[in-house]
Amino acid sequence: MRKPTVILMVLAATLSLGGCSRLDADGAQKSELKAREKRLTEKLSVARQGGAAVPLAKWILPAALREVSGLALLDDGRLLAHNDEQSRVYVIDPLRGVALKMFIVGQPAIRADFEGITVGPGVIYMVDSNGNIYRFEEGEDREHVRYTLHDPKLGRECEFEGIAYEPDSARVLMPCKNVGMKEMKGNLVIYRWRPEAPEEAPTMMAIPLATLVGPSGLKELHPSDMAIDPRTGNYVIIASPEKVIVEITPAGELVQVIRLPGGPRQPEGIAITNDSILIVSDEARKSAASITLYRWPIRAAVGGTQ
Amino acid sequence: MRPLRKIIDFMTLGSGHPIRRLLGYYAFLALVLTIVVRLFPATGNLLIGGGLDASPATSTSEVVLRDGLVDSSPTVSSLANRAFGVGSLGHLAGTTTLILIGTILLMLPVSWVYMSARHVAGHSQAVVQTLIILPLVVAGVVVIVRDSLALAFSLAGVVAAVRFRTNLRDTRDVVFIFLSIAVGFAAGVQTLAIGAVLTFVFNFLLLLTWRYDYGRNVLTPTAASQWAGPLNSLVTRTDWQAVPDRDLVLSLTPEKADALADRFQRVSGVLGTKKKKPRFDAVLSITTDKITEAQELAESVLTDNARRWKLDEVEQNVGKPSEIYYLLRLKKNVSRDDLLTAIRQDAGDRIHTADLESREAIQGEVSASA
Repeated sequence: MRKPTVILMVLAATLSLGGCSRLDADGAQKSELKAREKRLTEKLSVARQGGAAVPLAKWILPAALREVSGLALLDDGRLLAHNDEQSRVYVIDPLRGVALKMFIVGQPAIRADFEGITVGPGVIYMVDSNGNIYRFEEGEDREHVRYTLHDPKLGRECEFEGIAYEPDSARVLMPCKNVGMKEMKGNLVIYRWRPEAPEEAPTMMAIPLATLVGPSGLKELHPSDMAIDPRTGNYVIIASPEKVIVEITPAGELVQVIRLPGGPRQPEGIAITNDSILIVSDEARKSAASITLYRWPIRAAVGGTQ
Repeated sequence: MRPLRKIIDFMTLGSGHPIRRLLGYYAFLALVLTIVVRLFPATGNLLIGGGLDASPATSTSEVVLRDGLVDSSPTVSSLANRAFGVGSLGHLAGTTTLILIGTILLMLPVSWVYMSARHVAGHSQAVVQTLIILPLVVAGVVVIVRDSLALAFSLAGVVAAVRFRTNLRDTRDVVFIFLSIAVGFAAGVQTLAIGAVLTFVFNFLLLLTWRYDYGRNVLTPTAASQWAGPLNSLVTRTDWQAVPDRDLVLSLTPEKADALADRFQRVSGVLGTKKKKPRFDAVLSITTDKITEAQELAESVLTDNARRWKLDEVEQNVGKPSEIYYLLRLKKNVSRDDLLTAIRQDAGDRIHTADLESREAIQGEVSASA
């Protein structure tokens, strides 16, 4: 047989193999997604009956989300995630582990040290480490969306790593990871800003760390992200260096301190669904970045009033 | 390479034009790439820096994320995931292999352009092979070093210990080497699209600058203008025969072709056309440093010994004797030796050499060369 004929046959075989594998993959994908839903439902029912704090699901994120930073939930339960440096927002179905789409904030995309994301009524907020707040709406797949920027001029006073929207007060909350003001050292500082009145200066809420971390034996707390528990309205703060979750009331009273299960390497984002599923994002270190689902509240408290 | 050549021949309708062949290659490459990305969407990420594990770059459909918990149970899918999943040996080997294949496919046309479009004679085979191999090495290094500052510093230390001191003959070779390094980098960071655009623009730009001799000093005549005169003479001024061997003529320098054209004209003057009897039957060639005196002497001798004669050309040379050519027909009782003797006996230092080529001798020479 002549060489060109052999090469053409090999090429045709490869292409047909690729086509067949794609068809097979489509079928296998659907059954895999059904199996995932079933597994999650089973694990969730076991967890609600008082099971151990085991992960309900864990999804490995694509390389583009290697440095996944913030998480937020849309009203319909879809999860928003973004990475550290680019204004690319991924929309994920957290229950099935499917990346649905990705849209880009700004044309061209903004490059900044993005640290957190949250969802208000019909609008999404993203914050960078200097406290600049980017306000935009959800876009279509691969769409560049327009944004407005608000600078509350808090960059010197605070290094921000998270943001959360409090529906009850219609305010955006931004916890300080590192406090720049000397007089505020030793406090958990949370800034509150009302998007409806952007000209108003943000107000500050300071809670002595001793009242929060003392009972748990921790000496410091560096919040990485923050979420509002939809059922209680409590503030749920995740601290990556300490690898704990701290739940406090809006008045600043400690509810519980939970050591994160599963040994996360760098948990940077947190979100809680309406049906009480806690979602924690973990940046890539030696292995790929991931998001892990737990039943909320986790019964692994190390201190508090629960 | 033969099948690839046949495919390019097919796509360019057998054209030997370098730009068309290059376009044919890139069209074939784009076709194959489109089919592969269509069938295996993850490969598209190697073009734009996503990596095989990232969501497909060309598809807007949903992407199922890998289950991080299923891996802990020893199922067939989990074993496959361990073998070919993100961070696995299979994944790494697959990614690296695709990167290297892509690099070779991008560098092949660069090596063709390097071998074809050159202003100096010949090329270095070592450079051609380097153009193919160097980007592979660079891509491999970038794949290893990527995201690791410690490895980058280590690499800098190792490279500093190895000294490269190779002198390239043509400065343009350096540009090719730089290009191969750039393509290697692009492949290493899995943005082959940048490498593809880079080589595409580079190749066509180089071919065009070569084709139009871009950057030539305006005082230097072009190759075309250097050849136009002599070739035109050969074609238009020779009644007896056009250029006998075109390849032979093209292998001559313009100066030699010019001389050959003169000789053709002179010979044709002597030989005449097929229909008409020639007026002259010999060529007298004289070399001298004193043109006027030599001319006076030769013409007085010719007046005595030739039935008719005509000054054909005086070629003044610098650094070597000038040449004078006469076309003539000798009287019937005058032989070649008589004429040359008459010229030489009174020449003194006025004439260096004198020679007479008769019609018969020229005809014999022409028929021997034909």
